[in-house]
Amino acid sequence: MTDPLQQEAPAIADKDSRRRFVLEDDTGFNEVPKKYRRFYRKWGGPGDPLAANEVVCPVCKVVIRSTRELRPGDRVYCMPCMSRLIVMAGEGGRLEARVAY
Amino acid sequence: MAARATETPPPEVHDLDPGTFLEEVHSFEFWFQAVEGYLSGLTFGHKPGTSEDAMSPTDRDRLISVLCNYCVGETAALEASSGLIAIAPTRLAKVFLSTQVVDEGRHLEVLLHRMRDLGVADPEAEVEKRASPGIVTFKRRLLELVAGNDWESAIFAQNVILESLEFVVFRRHAENADRVTREVLEGIVKDERRHIGFGENELGRRLATAPAKRARIREFRQELDHLVLETLSDTVKHLGLDRSDEQDVGRMYMEAVARLGLAG
Repeated sequence: MTDPLQQEAPAIADKDSRRRFVLEDDTGFNEVPKKYRRFYRKWGGPGDPLAANEVVCPVCKVVIRSTRELRPGDRVYCMPCMSRLIVMAGEGGRLEARVAY
Repeated sequence: MAARATETPPPEVHDLDPGTFLEEVHSFEFWFQAVEGYLSGLTFGHKPGTSEDAMSPTDRDRLISVLCNYCVGETAALEASSGLIAIAPTRLAKVFLSTQVVDEGRHLEVLLHRMRDLGVADPEAEVEKRASPGIVTFKRRLLELVAGNDWESAIFAQNVILESLEFVVFRRHAENADRVTREVLEGIVKDERRHIGFGENELGRRLATAPAKRARIREFRQELDHLVLETLSDTVKHLGLDRSDEQDVGRMYMEAVARLGLAG
């Protein structure tokens, strides 16, 4: 992985064989309580590549991170803006998130 | 069993059940720990050691005019969000709005303080003198919606129209501002992220169960959003930002409107 904020844990696979990720504690994102900060990072805009465990919140444009590879249909939470989101396959297979009110 | 705010995070935050998630993010405890992360150590919204950049008299005067309009927006949100607590339909919404009231009071205080730093002897009198008619009218209409107990329309006006437009403009302004103003605005933007999210999600949930309310909110949208858009577009021009910035001002707001099914 080129992302310095996270390391892939190659030997670990959960029951549906998804890649698992160890999230670094300090992403520089300080807008949620400390215990949740590793699940979020700032988004650098369209030129900021997303890892397989990341998706951008469409409401507040923060990157949401998971300890596992994301797939369409997964539920993720954006705590900074309090949104519940469903992961979808977007253009070119890129993962996007849709708000589930 | 009722959902409770969590004391320790689960290994995967996205595994929380939806009830526990909502309880957690609407809590005063969540708010307190969130703002502690970026407001701790600041004085009136900026680091005590940040020194003033040199500024021409013209730039200073422009900045004061911009801050006057920001103050009207923040006063509108302060008065409206405190009034909304009484008519909020759930305990979670009431508690969240209590945190928004604190945020808005802080915003107003730091912006007025910034004007004093810039040499304005009586900032509140200056706001009265310089505020754009559009934002003043918006404030009056927002408070009328609150007084009329119109929860959905007031939340749309305050947390979707006003907050999402402020979010974009403050962020753009911060990128080009002097150092002290930048720090003040960056702190406000972090608060606004919660406010826009609360508004869209609360409204989205309400409209899902009462879709007939969309028509009424569309009417208010047509009446009110141009007041804020015009004021904030003027602000972008006032700050000397380019046309692409001006176009960006409304984009995030229009995306929220589309997600809520309120476009057209």
